[in-house]
Amino acid sequence: MPHNRTETGGRIDRGQMVNFTFNGHKLQGFAGDTLASALLANGIRLTARSFKYHRPRGIVGAGIEEPSTLVELMGDDASGNRPATTVPLREGMIAKTVNCWPSPGFDLGAITQLISRFIPAGFYYKTFKWPGWHLYEPSIRKAAGLAAAPTAPPKQGHFENRFGHCDLLIAGAGPAGLMAALTAGRAGLRVMIADEGTEAGGSLLNRRLTIGDGPALDWVQGVVDELDNLPNVIHLQNATVWAYREHNYLMVNERAPDNPSLLERNWRMRAGHVICATGAIERALVFGNNDKPGVMLASAAQAYVNRYGVRLGQRAIVFTNNNSAYAVAADLAAAGITVAAIVDSRMDVPEEARSMVADIDILAGHVVTTARGRRQVRGAAIAPVDGGASQQIACDLLAHSGGWNPAVHLWSQSRGALRYDDALTSFLPDRPAQNATSIGAADGQMTLADALDRGARAAADVAGVVRPDIPKSTDLPYAVTPLWRVKQATGKAFLDIQNDVTVDDVHLALREGYDNVEHVKRYTTGGMGIDQGKTGNINIIGTVAMQQGVPLDEVGTTTFRSPYSPVSFGAIGGLREDSVVLPYRHTPVTDWNLKNGAFMYESGARWRRPGYFPQAGESFQETINRECRIVRNGVGVYDGSPLGTFEFKGRDVGRFLDHIYTNIMSTLKPRQGRYGLMLSDDGLIIDDGVALRLSEYRWIVSTSTGHADAMNSHFEELLQTQFPDWNVFVTPVTSQWNNATICGPDARDVMQALGTDIDISSDALPFMGFADGQVADIPARVVRVSFTGELSFEVNVAPRDLPALWGKIMIAGAPLGIAPIGSEANHVLRVEKGFLSLGHEVDGTIDPYDLGLGWAMSRKKPDYLGKHAVAIRRAGTSNRRELVGLLPEPDQMVPEGAPLTPGGDRKPTEGLVTACVYSTVNERWVGLALLENGQSRHDETVHVRLKDKIVVARVTPPIHYDPAGERLRS
Amino acid sequence: MPYDVTIDRLPIFSLFDLKGPTDDLANWAADLPDFPQVANTRTQGNGVDLCFIGPNRWLLCADIKSEDTLITALRPAEAPPEISIVRVSDTLAFFRITGPDAAQVMSIGCPLDLHQNAFGTDAVSYTEFFGLKALVMRCDGGFDCAVEQSFGNMIADYLSRAMA
Amino acid sequence: MMNIPCPFCGPRNEAEFAFGGPVKPDRPDPNMVSEEEWAAYLTQVPNPLGPVQERWWHVKGCGTWLTIWRDTRTHDIVVRPADAS
Repeated sequence: MPHNRTETGGRIDRGQMVNFTFNGHKLQGFAGDTLASALLANGIRLTARSFKYHRPRGIVGAGIEEPSTLVELMGDDASGNRPATTVPLREGMIAKTVNCWPSPGFDLGAITQLISRFIPAGFYYKTFKWPGWHLYEPSIRKAAGLAAAPTAPPKQGHFENRFGHCDLLIAGAGPAGLMAALTAGRAGLRVMIADEGTEAGGSLLNRRLTIGDGPALDWVQGVVDELDNLPNVIHLQNATVWAYREHNYLMVNERAPDNPSLLERNWRMRAGHVICATGAIERALVFGNNDKPGVMLASAAQAYVNRYGVRLGQRAIVFTNNNSAYAVAADLAAAGITVAAIVDSRMDVPEEARSMVADIDILAGHVVTTARGRRQVRGAAIAPVDGGASQQIACDLLAHSGGWNPAVHLWSQSRGALRYDDALTSFLPDRPAQNATSIGAADGQMTLADALDRGARAAADVAGVVRPDIPKSTDLPYAVTPLWRVKQATGKAFLDIQNDVTVDDVHLALREGYDNVEHVKRYTTGGMGIDQGKTGNINIIGTVAMQQGVPLDEVGTTTFRSPYSPVSFGAIGGLREDSVVLPYRHTPVTDWNLKNGAFMYESGARWRRPGYFPQAGESFQETINRECRIVRNGVGVYDGSPLGTFEFKGRDVGRFLDHIYTNIMSTLKPRQGRYGLMLSDDGLIIDDGVALRLSEYRWIVSTSTGHADAMNSHFEELLQTQFPDWNVFVTPVTSQWNNATICGPDARDVMQALGTDIDISSDALPFMGFADGQVADIPARVVRVSFTGELSFEVNVAPRDLPALWGKIMIAGAPLGIAPIGSEANHVLRVEKGFLSLGHEVDGTIDPYDLGLGWAMSRKKPDYLGKHAVAIRRAGTSNRRELVGLLPEPDQMVPEGAPLTPGGDRKPTEGLVTACVYSTVNERWVGLALLENGQSRHDETVHVRLKDKIVVARVTPPIHYDPAGERLRS
Repeated sequence: MPYDVTIDRLPIFSLFDLKGPTDDLANWAADLPDFPQVANTRTQGNGVDLCFIGPNRWLLCADIKSEDTLITALRPAEAPPEISIVRVSDTLAFFRITGPDAAQVMSIGCPLDLHQNAFGTDAVSYTEFFGLKALVMRCDGGFDCAVEQSFGNMIADYLSRAMA
Repeated sequence: MMNIPCPFCGPRNEAEFAFGGPVKPDRPDPNMVSEEEWAAYLTQVPNPLGPVQERWWHVKGCGTWLTIWRDTRTHDIVVRPADAS
């Protein structure tokens, strides 16, 4: 290993060895290494196979821009498609390359290279299309597969999502970002500075520069120390600002939070102002075989020698069109690598660049036409840029720089405008769309002094303070001449290494008419994938511009979308997994239910309620039948707490209820209740329920469980937007009034046994009546409503009292055989009675007349919600689907939702089955259905058309039990 | 290190939802503290907190032991139509989150800026907590947070996950 | 996640609100308008490219039904346009 390391220097800890496994090989690196730097230090060049052609690939970048080496981490770290350059090396890490099998050195998929000329851009679109796509898809997915998703959740730890707020959010802790944070932090702003690297410093970590009188990294350390001591500053490393949404809402993914229980944390930040100090990303040069292992970005080569102390090779060629690579050549030489030549496509190389590399040959006006070597680079063919004879130069490292692209991704996500800058040959931030500023290399300040100055100014402007002095620094001035592709390139010249998109592919797309840059992207897949084309996009735009003979700003960029770089699904979900994936609600008798064997599930509006209470040896149907018989023949009790309940107050409540109910409520006398229907103004049935008038100005309105929230919205919207002058107050009291509903012919006996000061005789407390008093020494409101068709007492109490009441009911009812009833039996009982259930018998086409509830549609009231819409709709149709009962013959179950067709033939349906239950009182299956003109078709025979058979059914009135309603009024 | 906080599920309080013009409310219910003038703040006095939680809407909070006394004083059933007084003591499940990291734990569920400068000692507001409507206010050394009673178990579930 | 200004609470996360749809004209008296006018009132909802007046309910906050002008192209909350009806 020392062979591939420099003797000293770098940000690695040479005293701390780290063991890891890569593609089955046991290797060592140092603390501070990334997986990529450790592989390079181990002399491993061939680290990947490409996505489409399975060409041998190496490490191209040093950070998030890496297009080539994606790895899957195994074991405890299990995660997929991680760029090896962004994976901090950890003891015991097990990594393997994606895209190859069995190994990148011997990859069976490489056979596709042989047929590569037959799989150009758009190949999949042209070949595997409808109607056969489902036949091809599985094998294509396998061949094109990236990493496998982990199969198990992480062994320990969890993800967290949290909200945050700051005056100033700074994305990027390079020199500009640090200077801005220091300025704003000292001025007292609440600052968050987040940086994707494991250490602050940005480009300074990879370069050898001075700030003030010492190494730039000493200055960085000083700033970091000061920031970390400011209570108003949150400084995060290993934390990517990955999304910039509307209203300065940003996402920050912190990958190593200071809480050992946490795997990752995602911050949802609302920032007063945002500073994008996201730096710049080097773009690749486009020449033949520019994807060979050993061909890497110049800035990456610089990072590996300076930051990670990796001696990348023996003999390097540096290929560039700009000044920045001269510093790289100097650093490579200083690390003991022979730089055979600098190949510069520019005719004139600025003197300040030349002076950095006095001892290195410079081939001005030349380009690399192709990289040579089979499994890794062995040399390069070099020719004059204007054409002419080529020469060969041997090398084992080819570092190239096509210039720098300001990382405008976040800026652009914020909808900030971009403009093309001819001098920088790239797109730069223009007008902001939100409270945002772009600074440093992200804004086109390509020297250290300019970046520091801009950072200080921007933060001082936000904080409203005077710009502080900035320390002096020196840097090579930046100058670039565009070279979008090498024209005389031989072999495949890749624009997008990750997606195997070549210059030829882009030309093909343009020839086939995909001439908008967004279409080029989708047709070629250039700029998609894990790296989102960070090194290649601008070259694609340049290639399109060259081909079309237009300037780059006319081509424009593709849309930058979040995430800036990959984010774990876990970090996005946070704590929300397993039992809390969806909200859930409980009533106070939940513990009792669970202890008594209830089978609980969600049954609307997030309530977990008992579906049924199975006893030993009972089948599901037997349980339901038993619970139904108990209610029909004796007495049962169910927990009706989730029923939506609202207290109304004011002079205009009656008037308001008359507007929202179809029937008249204002005529109710105190101490009376009435059932009613509510429609939306376009005639949909939105709820049904009971209104109770407590006194002149106080009312209780109950709604169905599932619609309680929607009804609350409905009431408040009307009162606040249409009737702001009406004297009506609404207070939701669903959770102030829980109830136990005692139902069955013996219900009154249970009430008596409980003991109550309320006269519960049918004369004193008739159906739809209610009274307040004591039940079993608990303050209660007893309401005579019935959802089962039997004598019922809804005993409403405060939730704190419900468990006690419930226990007393069980004791008082024991001699009568009382039992708890679940929602399944409740469903059967209401179907027997033909009581409507929203969502079953009611959809957007059904009105009250169809349900036989025309009596509830007031003729006296000139207007109420939905009246006019129902009238208009009924006037226009003669053929309505109406509610009927259904008796399948022979006796059998038919599924809910099954269609009714004339004669059971394959004809348009004339209705559907809305419910079908086993009725214990009828000792047979009974159903409800919506049937065309059903009210006039009683006793007719209809046909339920099922997949495998046709069931005949007799039409009946929609009530299968106690049609006169004597029992519920008893 | 894991969060340094204590989480307690509190017993119910006496709660009354008051609606209507302040003058009418104050005339009807003597002995209440002064009505807070600033939205989403509270005043205290006579053992009760009066929270200004919406336009013409207050929440009166006190110890549950004083519920009967308050019912006698407020007479919800007899109050004139200009105002609404409704006992809602059972509707909220309260959690108390205290300790050095209380604000951090709150920030997992609550989108409100709870910085002392933005959410001071007398602040109280309805907002979100783990996606649910929740009442949030400061207490000694941390925050009180209340959600609709039936969601209490779920919030306890969430908080224990946050502290795992 | 928009930051919606509530007249009572100040700016709050969009998640605290429920969307109430674009503001429609005031409800006419159905007995005073033609069926066509009534159907138009029920079914026609403003859907411009640009500023639109919307209702939001601060359901998880103070309970206020409020209106804002939102630019549908940008999510920017804007002042009422001078030519708004």
